[in-house]
Amino acid sequence: MMKSADATEVLPSPHARSGLWTLWSMMRSEPMLLGGGAVLLLLVLAAVLIPVVMAIDPLSINVTQKLLPPSPEHWLGTDEFGREVFDRLVIGAHLSLRVGFAATALTALVGITLGALSGQYRLADSIIGRFSDALMIFPGFVLAIMILAAIGPSEFNVVLAVVVLYVPRVIRTVRASIIEYRSADFVQAARAVGVGDMRLLVVHILPKSFGPVMVQLTFGFAWAILVEAGLSFLGLGPPPPDPSWGNMISAAREFIRTAPWIMIAPGLMITATVLSLNLIGDGLRDLLDPRLQSQVNP
Amino acid sequence: MLRYTLRRVLEFIPTIFIAVTLIFVITRLVPGSPITALIGNQSVDAAKIDAMAQQLGLDRPVWEQYIEWLPRVVTGNFGQSMFFSAPVVDVILDRFPVTFSLTFLALIVTIAIGIPIGILSAMRRGGIFDYFGNVLSSLGMALPPFWLGFMLMLVFAVGLQWVPASGYRPIEFGFWNWFSRLLLPVAALSVSQIGLVVRMTRSTMIEVLGTEYVGMARTKGLRERTVILKHALRNAMIQIVTVIGLVFALGLGGSVIIENVFALPGLGELITTAAVRRDYPTLEGGIFYLTLVALAINLVVDLAYAYFNPRIRYS
Repeated sequence: MMKSADATEVLPSPHARSGLWTLWSMMRSEPMLLGGGAVLLLLVLAAVLIPVVMAIDPLSINVTQKLLPPSPEHWLGTDEFGREVFDRLVIGAHLSLRVGFAATALTALVGITLGALSGQYRLADSIIGRFSDALMIFPGFVLAIMILAAIGPSEFNVVLAVVVLYVPRVIRTVRASIIEYRSADFVQAARAVGVGDMRLLVVHILPKSFGPVMVQLTFGFAWAILVEAGLSFLGLGPPPPDPSWGNMISAAREFIRTAPWIMIAPGLMITATVLSLNLIGDGLRDLLDPRLQSQVNP
Repeated sequence: MLRYTLRRVLEFIPTIFIAVTLIFVITRLVPGSPITALIGNQSVDAAKIDAMAQQLGLDRPVWEQYIEWLPRVVTGNFGQSMFFSAPVVDVILDRFPVTFSLTFLALIVTIAIGIPIGILSAMRRGGIFDYFGNVLSSLGMALPPFWLGFMLMLVFAVGLQWVPASGYRPIEFGFWNWFSRLLLPVAALSVSQIGLVVRMTRSTMIEVLGTEYVGMARTKGLRERTVILKHALRNAMIQIVTVIGLVFALGLGGSVIIENVFALPGLGELITTAAVRRDYPTLEGGIFYLTLVALAINLVVDLAYAYFNPRIRYS
């Protein structure tokens, strides 16, 4: 209860201070949000800036330098082809973040559109509802495995599979908040002064769902990174030699006894990224609506 | 209760129907691909490809294939596995005990650890125990289970050599032979589930502790012990029990990748290898049975919930 009290005290300040200051005060009241945000920012900056300031080559093979443990010359050691684990880790971050971001953006677009349709039109609701229910009955990410087995492993197909798995959850959230606010006083008032249905939906009702959807999408981002890693590990992700954290772990399993460092590093990166995103999600949730419960991902 | 049970069972049927239809649609998104996968790099003449297509029924229109496929599948017959040269059903039934051992043990571990931690966290809300419970559950949910599996293998099988690194022995080979090979997979599967159960238990318990009847019990002057154990916990447990169904379904989903890590010959390992080899009958069958079990468990949990909580039945 303490936290939510803080949050409500801070929230009404936009009239007094600039937007940036409000954002900062909000972040300060949520240490999880701040910590998660800082770690994620650091990861993104590292992934973007390291290739600029250093010579990074994740594909250069050097057979005389293979399976070397971490040392001052090879920061995180080398893999079975003598490639630098550090270089591959940095470029692998690009792929993980790209997949996560693309999947989240696409999920938001499709989820909000379909969610709005189901909230607004009864016919659309029964059709979309059936499909999203059906997509949600498969346990875990077996549906993603099946999709990739059918359409073949590639980066785009991984994004597609993640969207298919996650979109029903966003649809539900958007739909629920539309139904909740449809008969609210402010909507009735707007309707009374002659605001049209479409404008009512887009300008007045839909923005009410953005908070819960933001929280959900943050968890979805984290989950997308885990799914990408899992699929890549199974050999259903973006194919080698381009590095992804998942396929690095997959390739390293043969060398777990002789060269465990190849595997340890990418796993730690996945954990750090997912943890920071989950913390941001938790922080956002507490900030926006302390009543919302933990997200249950498939 | 009978009416409710009937209604739920009847609702179950269209769900299964939609599930198998989705399986059919997805695995046939790319026509002819099972044959390409089967021949691989061998050079095969066109006549033989046609013969294979005919044998698999791939030369006919999709809807015709569907009409023929659906009644077979609903009775559990997915045809011959392309790689095992045995009926898919036999292959799956063979592997089921492994997946069941893994997910069931993980469920027990998850409940035994997750629920008490969640309850204690709620009782000491904001305290040091709650803080560590929160940090550890967040961390547990962020660890990729397959990677955690390898790390456990690295420490306990490769380093300390307490247990074998991978493989499976049926329980007939002796309890320890069976159990020792499942210890690490169960641990790898349980960690993220525990994180989830801790959080869900904690929020349910906090909700219950804030209700009026708990406030009433306190106002009456009952001891904190009595309030928690007799009033709050009993009501919270009804909701917490539903978590079991969820965790079991999650475990079945998670077992897919964990079995691959530890070379456990279960249903999940079957699904992942079938996916990579594009053995569609096996893939379809494996996913169908896995989904069916998850749905059935959820049904049972739903019915149990309605039995203990009559309000559900009449709503």
